[in-house]
Amino acid sequence: MIDLLVLALMLAGALFMLVAALGIVRMPDVFMRMSCNAKSVIIGLTLLLLAFTLHFREIGVGSRAVATIAFIALTVPVASHRIGRSAYLRGVKLWDGTIRDELGEALEAARKNGENDADR
Amino acid sequence: MPTADLERTPPWSWREASTRLAFLTGLWLLLTGADAGSWVIGGPAVLLATLLSLRLRSPVAWRWRPAGLLRFVPYFLWHSLRGGLDVTRRALHPRLPIAPALVYHTLRLPPGPSRVFLANTINLLPGTLSAELQDSRLTVHMLDAALVNVMELQRLETRVADLFAVSLE
Repeated sequence: MIDLLVLALMLAGALFMLVAALGIVRMPDVFMRMSCNAKSVIIGLTLLLLAFTLHFREIGVGSRAVATIAFIALTVPVASHRIGRSAYLRGVKLWDGTIRDELGEALEAARKNGENDADR
Repeated sequence: MPTADLERTPPWSWREASTRLAFLTGLWLLLTGADAGSWVIGGPAVLLATLLSLRLRSPVAWRWRPAGLLRFVPYFLWHSLRGGLDVTRRALHPRLPIAPALVYHTLRLPPGPSRVFLANTINLLPGTLSAELQDSRLTVHMLDAALVNVMELQRLETRVADLFAVSLE
């Protein structure tokens, strides 16, 4: 019974990891790749680590799995935010189909204000 | 960013430093299974991490409300699972159903760690990624800029306010 559960968790975890990889290939710009990746990687890894914990059923493995899940859940969102943000600020283009870019509008407005200040 | 009316964190004390040192030492013990040889790396790493964590302390005092945490955890787990399923559907769909946008959201949370926490949390929820946080303005990248997703962001903000025991403006 436990083996079946381990198997199901590993399969589901591997599927989410596959989705993360597919997202990188299929999504058309950096923000969307990061968005897709952050969510599926954390779920995928959590499921895989839960499978290991259930398989080994040792306190040492379980506690390390929990610590690893916590670290991933703390760091992945920060990293994907920083990667998306710095790509945008360095001028990496958004996908053509993007409906609105209110960040670009605000940066443009701030730049114009700055120029006006310099004139004075 | 923090304004005068916010409660400031007092300067660090030896007591706080030793609590952090003990916590990080425990974490290293946990990760390495108390292997004596690992302290060659672990000793300096734990010391550096303690110093860094004291240096990077939030200038604004904050706490989590235990009841708020109990309410937040199931909400968060459920919605991150939804987030994962949502991107799975989009990434696997032959027509790639996306209508992305970078949208401004004016935060109602007070300045401080609750804002940063919100910006990080939305990265794990369905279809959203924080792009820029400046004062009370959070720019969010949405895979689908539908109104329901904007409303979900407002609901998340209410949850975070409940967790940090702060009131929304």
